[in-house]
This record gives sequence, structure tokens and C-alpha cells, in this order.
Amino acid sequence: MTTTGWLIVGFPLAGCILIGLLFNRLSGRAAGIIGTLAIAASFLCSILTFISLQDRAAGHKQVVTSLWDYAVTAGIDAKLSILIDPLSIFMALVVSGVSMLIHLYSVAYMASDRGYVRFFSYLNFFVFSMLLLVMASNFLILIVGWAFVGAASYLLISFWYRRTTATTAGIKAFVINVVGDVGLVLGTFFIFKQSGTLDFLGTFAQAGKISGADLTAGCILLLVGAFAKSAQVPLHTWLPDAMEGPTPVSALIHAATMVTAGVYLIARMWPLFEQAPEAADVGMIVGLATLLIAATTALAQTDLKRVIAYSTMSQIGYMIMGVSAGAYAAGLFHLMTHAFFKALLFMAAGSVIAAMAGEQNLDKMGGFRRAMPFTFGCFVIGGLALAGIPPFSGFWSKDEIISLVAERGGWHWILFAGAYVGSFLTAVYTWRMIFRAFWGDPVPEAVELEGGHLHHAEVHRNPASGEEEDTGVGFPGPDHHIAEREFPMRAAMAALAVLATVGGFLQIPFGAVNAIDNFLEPTFAGSKYYSSLSPSDGFTLLGLVIGASLGLAGIAVAYRVWVQRPGTAARVRERLPFLYRLFLNKWYFDETIDVLVVRPWAAFGRFGQATFERVFVDGVLVDGTTGLVRAGSAAVRAIQSGFLRVYAAFVLLGLAGLALYFLIQAS
Amino acid sequence: MHLSLLIWLPAAAALFGALLPGRAARAGAVSGSLVTLGLSIAVLVQFKTGGGLQFITDETWISELGIHYKLGVDGLNLFFILLATLLFAATMVWAALQTWERESTFFLWLGIAESAVIGALTAQDLALFVAFFDLMLIPFYFLTGQWGIGPNRVAGVTKLVIYTLVGSLLMLAAAVATAVLAANGDHLNFTFSFLADHRLANGSQNWIFLFFAAAFLVKMPLFPLHGWMPDGYRAMPMPVLAVFSGVLSKVAAYGFLRIALPLFPHGSVHYQELMLLIALASILYGSAMAFTTTNARLILGYSSVAQMGFIVLGIFALRAQGAQGAVLQSVNHGLVVAPAFFIVALLAARAGGSEDVRDMGGLAFRAPVLASLFLIVALATLAMPGSSNFVGEFLILLGVFNSKIVIAIVAFTGVALASVYTLRLFIRAMHNRVAPGDESREMTLADGVILVPLVAVILFLAVYPQFVLKRTSRETTSAAQAAAAVVR
Repeated sequence: MTTTGWLIVGFPLAGCILIGLLFNRLSGRAAGIIGTLAIAASFLCSILTFISLQDRAAGHKQVVTSLWDYAVTAGIDAKLSILIDPLSIFMALVVSGVSMLIHLYSVAYMASDRGYVRFFSYLNFFVFSMLLLVMASNFLILIVGWAFVGAASYLLISFWYRRTTATTAGIKAFVINVVGDVGLVLGTFFIFKQSGTLDFLGTFAQAGKISGADLTAGCILLLVGAFAKSAQVPLHTWLPDAMEGPTPVSALIHAATMVTAGVYLIARMWPLFEQAPEAADVGMIVGLATLLIAATTALAQTDLKRVIAYSTMSQIGYMIMGVSAGAYAAGLFHLMTHAFFKALLFMAAGSVIAAMAGEQNLDKMGGFRRAMPFTFGCFVIGGLALAGIPPFSGFWSKDEIISLVAERGGWHWILFAGAYVGSFLTAVYTWRMIFRAFWGDPVPEAVELEGGHLHHAEVHRNPASGEEEDTGVGFPGPDHHIAEREFPMRAAMAALAVLATVGGFLQIPFGAVNAIDNFLEPTFAGSKYYSSLSPSDGFTLLGLVIGASLGLAGIAVAYRVWVQRPGTAARVRERLPFLYRLFLNKWYFDETIDVLVVRPWAAFGRFGQATFERVFVDGVLVDGTTGLVRAGSAAVRAIQSGFLRVYAAFVLLGLAGLALYFLIQAS
Repeated sequence: MHLSLLIWLPAAAALFGALLPGRAARAGAVSGSLVTLGLSIAVLVQFKTGGGLQFITDETWISELGIHYKLGVDGLNLFFILLATLLFAATMVWAALQTWERESTFFLWLGIAESAVIGALTAQDLALFVAFFDLMLIPFYFLTGQWGIGPNRVAGVTKLVIYTLVGSLLMLAAAVATAVLAANGDHLNFTFSFLADHRLANGSQNWIFLFFAAAFLVKMPLFPLHGWMPDGYRAMPMPVLAVFSGVLSKVAAYGFLRIALPLFPHGSVHYQELMLLIALASILYGSAMAFTTTNARLILGYSSVAQMGFIVLGIFALRAQGAQGAVLQSVNHGLVVAPAFFIVALLAARAGGSEDVRDMGGLAFRAPVLASLFLIVALATLAMPGSSNFVGEFLILLGVFNSKIVIAIVAFTGVALASVYTLRLFIRAMHNRVAPGDESREMTLADGVILVPLVAVILFLAVYPQFVLKRTSRETTSAAQAAAAVVR
């Protein structure tokens, strides 16, 4: 079992290195096939490990295995080791499974890209990092995986590095993620100070003993890491910009896997968070704030991918709220179903964008229903799951989170109410997007496609800035690939569509099916919330009815506003200009951070360059001493290397003089 | 093995080559440095972990003054020596691929520089250390003054010499005072082991500590003593700069650990907060300068100020973790900054000789190998977790966290800033559109001979930092303990 455990992370790493080393030898789709096979092998190993874990006796389902000492010195004890337990295997299955499908999709989607080989090397590196993150058995290796996924994300966001928009988005994502890393490291310090070990199981064993200010501070700092990675306010601004990356990247990293790392982190650290309830409260409140802010922002955006990105933020808000409240299995369940339907939505969006020859603006889309029936079908399934319509997967998982949070009672009812408001908004923005892209009169691109010809742009432009593309080198590639015409894309989307439809049946309330609960139980043994949060059947039923009704109502509103009476949206905008501008400008987070953080640092830098470096360093101290240096230079010019002789003489004289002085004194 | 061989071989080989006619000078210097690298690896292989001071040579040099020619290797200097021999070997090869005027003199100075550095690192006698430490400066003065860049090179290097000279004289005076006070009327003895057993009174420790600290801080350099750095760095020929920035600043860090902490523990504790604040200021100031300057060379220069700030921060945490991190980080920083300067040289060659990042851009497509290697170096420079640099920084910050928590928290800002200036350099050079006048081409095989081994070492330490940690932990712990004992 330990061997297959290591192979889970080993195969993607091997794939990355192999593709990287053979970068100029691989032709055609070879890199894509190697990459996909590596991830498939990893997925297979996850299944094998899963099976052998199931065979183990109840009390022995947490296994640590190490390769070598990584940093064992001066009181720290970090080995290169992984933890195999139900939670890590659950995550490994989701990550490697969804990754495999997205790799498959990319084999065709990226086929004409000039960076095809580089793409798969990066993508395999990402999967390796993500698996390392979820399987790490101590804080140091967790941080390594945590930062590696950030680096992979950076590389893939600025994958089309000719675009200034992409490189700017990349550095923004990287720096905010480093802020998160800092939070994680500092949080680790606070916890390590009390526990004296970096090992997870060792730390958790002492969780009860290390209660107090340090633990709360540590957990809040861990949350900073989780918020940065999972795009929670106020560290979320990088995620919408990350849509600069190729669409499979958005599907894999910025929807299905990496951005859910924060959810995993809180679930993994449950013994600490249960001892630090204040920190858990922060997680719940920020989760709710994010889910509402993101859902309202999504209502006003016109970029297809950004709408889905805000939706991702919002859905992760639900998960963060859930796991912070102690609804661990529900949060992880939603993580899984979200991975299915959100990856599906992104893939379908990629297909639409390809049909639009790279255009992402919803205003320019419309009527794609007949031109792309398969893509449309996938979009509808994803949209229904996201809106929480029964029996699609999102329905079961989202409602489980909400009802368990309400079970906590007291002020948690605010979370309950807020979450249902979000649920309604989700249905509205999701279906606004679908109605605008697929209903209405077909745009010229759609008509062209119905005629059997895929649209190609005359002049290629950056969809974000309108700038003309540099087609000479590193250009995304002139050909586009849509799901309708490419078998690998269709296969991957079909698989996800099935999972998005039936994935929710793994866990059905009223005690009907509890597969996820039961499987994850050993990891959460001893939790005070894990099995005690169990709402009554009546309350559960009520929640399901409210959830389904709000979802349907949202779709109905969207239908009325964007299909039946197309002018309604404009009228609402005129009535509520303040709200519209707030949502359109994403609640002004970018501007605020710019004023509070970016500008002061830049000003400090410029100030230093203009004052200290110019006046003090160059002027007063050196030139200004009327010329200590100038005199020295003159001396050098005069007697060439004479200055050095002076120096050597100085040294010798000084040595001799001092020695003499002290010798006389001493004797 | 006799350490004298390690010290004097580079200079001797360069001298031998210089005396022969033709191009023998470069052959002599290069082979001398490569053999020295081999010898230092032999030292590593024979090194007994936890075995204390090894490979000892102890001769009385000037008996009247009690100065010994005493050399030795232990966990504290082992990896500093390896770093020095590795980077000098890389620099020699690099320099040998270029043409220089009066090349036999050029290589002779480089050989002498290597000897001086190894001498300072192996010396186990304070006077010998001071002699080698001062000797280090002389070759760089000539290398910059005669082979340097730009019309202001003499002014630039003179600035360097004046700064360093002041520091050196202070250190010389302090060294003599230390030995005299420690001898207390008896025979003088400059060996570290003697001085460690005969510590000075607390008051004397304080002022003597400051003298040593001034010399080391100038050499690193740290804010606000970095005034010579911009001009000095701009004037140095690139291969010389790589080894200067990679190795010489580390000798100063080593000096703190070998001399300041064990010999003047009371002084170290007394000025702990001052040193931490200087380090912190260097981190923040160096970072801010690094992301506002457009000269690629100075981006690395200011980033070194910030990185050396981290190292001093670790040393003056006065905890085992901090000292351990400082040693690891010194090795790491040397390993990343030398290839970084090499890469900047390659970039400048493609940008028509300009080292301004505004004249660079978009090389990644035609130079994927260079871009990948640069990426690895850049990520290691910003201490991304998974690099050995991160482990160093982790230990440093953990040490500071345990002793002065507020300073540790502020210092974390520097971690985030490092990602800004490093990625800015990488993106400006490799990504975006190809800059007009930038010639986009791949690096050559010869470039790879220099760059690939260095990157391989970076990668090896990234997966196995314990390689360094386990060999150094005993001595770093005891260096920090001397000071920690004072606190108690």
C-alpha cells in the first residue's frame, strides 16, 4: 500500500520530467498522450491504495510512510513522508480522476498550440504538486506542495506569455499566493511552538493540550493560507484574473482542484480548529461573505470565464463555511461534486470560446443551442447541478452543508439564511450565462457553425485587452477545437456530465446512502461535530425543498429577464446604478488593495531610490566628503597601483603599531 | 589531507600558468580551480559528521606574537569551503571562455582571490583570519580597476576599498586587542580555541564585537553600509562579480558564526536587537530597491542585501535553528546568485549589451532551456518552498520567531517582496513581447557547462537539504549556544 501511495505522486512527477526532457523530440500529440497516461496511472494507483485501505482494520486506517529525512535538525523533524488515510485518498481520487479527464480534454483542445509540450509538462507538474499537498504528512511537506501548486498555477496562468495581461495576472496570483504561504508558515510556527513537532498526527495527538492564544493565532494564520489559495475575500482578486490561462487550466486548477486546497486544509486540521472555535468562526464568516460577494459580482460580469470564476469563489465559500462549522464530510462532498460540474462547465465554456475564435464576451454570444447541441447539453447539466436542482449532484451536497451549519444553532442561522440567498443568486447568474450564450438569435459565429464551418478570426486579438496578438511566436495557435468535433473532448465531457448527474447519489439524506460519511469516518474519529451534527428528517426535507425551490425560482427569474423580456436587465441597471457599479467593479477590491498595499510599497521604493541611494550613498557620504573617493581616485590615477601599496602599508603599519603598543603595555 | 594544499593550489597553479608563455595562464588557473574543487570534495567525503575540528594543521608562525598557522575544517566551514571552490571553478571556466587583455595577470589575480578566500574560511587563528580576510580585497581591487566596466570603474572600486578598508582596520585593531586582553599579560595566542577558552570581560566584548560587526556588515553588505555596492557591482566584470557576490559576502556571515558569536557571546547578546534591526531594515530596504531599479545587475545586488539580511537575522536569533538556517542559507544564496549573474550576462549579451530590464523581453520562446534554468534559479532565489533556500529561511525565521516574535513577523514581509522582485526580473527578461533590439537565441553548449552543474546542485539540495543540515548541525548549535548561555 505504501508503494502504490508513493506511486500516486510519482507518476505525475515522472510524466512532467519525461515530457520536459524530451521537449524537442515529441511531435504531434505524443506529449498529451504521455501526460494523460501518467495521470491515468496515478488514478489507478489511487484506486489500488483505496482498496487496500478499505481492507485494513478499523483502527489502522492512518498510515505514514517516509522516504528520507528532509530537514531533521535543531529541534525540527520534517521527513519526506506521506500520510495515507481516508481523507488523503479521497482527495487523491478526486484530484487524479478529474485531472485525468481534463488532460484527456486538453489533448485535443490544445492541439494547435505552439506550447503543446510545455503545457503538458506544466500540467503534470501541477498534478504532482496537488497530490503532494493532499498526501503530505507534516507541515513542511504540506507547505512544499502548497507552494508548488501556486508555482504551477503561476506558470499556467501566464502560459500565453506574449500577452501582457497574462504575465500581469500571473505575478499577481503568485504574490497573493505567497502571502498565503507566509500565513501558512507563520501559523505553523505558532502551532509548532506548542506541539514541538511538525508531524500532523503528532500535533493532533496534542491538540487538546495546546489550547490557548497561540493555537487561535496559529489557526487564523492557517486560514490566511487557505483564503489565499481558495480565493476567499479579501485575498481573492487573483482568481478572476487567472482566467488568462488556457481554459483546461481554469477547469483543473482554478475550479476543480487547487482552489479547493483551503477546504482540504481546514478539514485536515480539524483537531486544531475544534480547539480554536474563534478561528473556526472566522472561517465561517469569511466563507459566507465570499459566497455572497462573489455571487453578486457574477451577476454583472460579461466575460464568460470570469462569471464561472466568480461562481467558483462563491461555491468554495460554501465549502469553507461548511468545514469551518464542522460539516467536514459535507464540505468535502461538495468539493467533489463541484469538481465534477465546474470542470464540466469550464470545458463547455472552452468549446463555446473556441467556436467564437477566442472571444469570451457574453454580449457577443447568443443562439449557440442548435450549432453546438453536445456543448449545450453539457452546459445545461452543469448549470442544473450548480443551481442545485434535483437530482443533480450539487443539489445534495450544497443542501447538506446548509442544513448542518444550521444545526449548530444560535447565530449560525444567519449563515443558513445567507447561504440560501446565495443559492438563489447562483441559479440566477448561472442561467443568465446559459440563456445569453445559447438562447436568442444566433450570432454570425453560430450561424457559420450551423453551416458546418468553424469561425476563424481575421485578426487575432487578446480577449481581455483587445490588443492584437503576437502571431510570430508563442501564439495560442490559429486552429480551434470544439467538443462537437473532437473525440477526446467529447469523451472527457461526457464522463464529467455523467458524474455531475449521478455523483450526488453517494450521499443521500434520511440515512439512505452514507458512502462518503462512512468512508471518511476514521480520519475524523474523535471529532465533536462529525457525527453529532445530524439534523432531523423533517428539517432535512424542509432544507431540500427550500433549496430546490430557490434554484428553480432563480432559473425562472433568469428566464424572464434574459429570454422573455430582454430589456429588463437594462432597466434594473438604471434603477440601481450604485449596486450595478459595485457589482461590475467587483466591490472595488482591486482598487482598495492597490491603494493600501501596492502604492505605498512602490512609493517607498521610489523614495529610497531618489533620496538615500542618490543623496546619501552617492552624494554626501562619497562625493560630498569632497571627495574621499575623488581624492582616492586621483591618487590611483596618479600612481596607478600605488593606492594598494598605501593600503598594504596601512595594514602592516597598523598591525605592527597596535601589536607594539599592546606588547609594551603587557610587559 | 593537508589543507595548505587546498589553500595554495589555486594561486600556485595560476602563477605557474602565468609564468609559461601563451594561453597557459587560463589553462593553469582553470585546472587549478578544478583540482581544488576535487580536493574539497575529497574533504567532504572524508569528513566525519559530528567529529569536531578535522584536517588540522597547526604550526607556529610568528612565535613572538603568538600567531599560529592553524587550519581546520568542521561543520561550520565545510560547506562554505565547498561553495567557494565550486563557484570559483565555475567562474574560472566562465572567464576562460572569454578573452581578456593581459590575461595571465587576470587569471593570476583570480587564483590569488580563491586562495585568500579558502584561507579565510579554513583559518583557525584570528590573526591568520584577518590576514586572509584583508588579502581577499586586493585581487578584486585589481580585477575591477583594470578589467572592470565603464569609465567610473576606478571610482567604483575605490569606494569599495575605502569602505572595506575602514572595516578591515577596525577588525585588525579589534583582533589585536582581543588577543592581548585574552592573554592578560601572558604569552599572546591568537588561535580560536585559545580565545574561546579565555573570553574577555563583558565590557571589552561589547566594543570589540562592534568593530568586528562593522567589518562583516560592510563586506556583506547590509543597509546602511551598502553605499559601495551599487557602484562597485556596476564596475565589476561579470564573472568576478558572480564570485564576489556569491562567496565574499558569505565569508562575512561565516565570520559572525566563527568569531563574533563564540568569542564575544556577551557582545552578541548585548547588541542582538541592533543587529536584528539592521538585518530587518536590509530586508525591507533591499527588497524595495530591488523592485524599483531597472538594472538587472542591481536587482540581484539589492536582492543580495535583502538575502544577507535574512542570514544575519538567523545568526542573531541566537538560537540553534537560526544559526543552522544561516549556514544553509549562505550556501543556498551563493548557489543561486552566481548562476543568476551568469544568466544576466547571457541576457545582456542578447539585449545588445544593455543590462536594463526595459531593453529585454520575450526570450522564452526561442530559448526554452535558458528560460527553464532561469526559472529554477529564480524560484530558488525567492525561496519557494521545495527549494533548499526555503528550508534555510524556514529555520532562520523559526529561530527569530522563538527569540523575537515581532521581528520575525515583520521579516515575513520580505518573503513576499522577494517574489515580487525576482519574478519581475524573470518576466521582464523572458516573457511579454520580444523587445526591439533583443536578439532571441538559445544558450550555447558552453554556457550549459557552467550553468547546468550549478542548477543540478540547487536541485539536489532542494530534494535533500538534510545533506547539509546533518553535517553542520553540531557546530551551528554550539555556536548559538555560547550566546544562548549568556542569556540564561
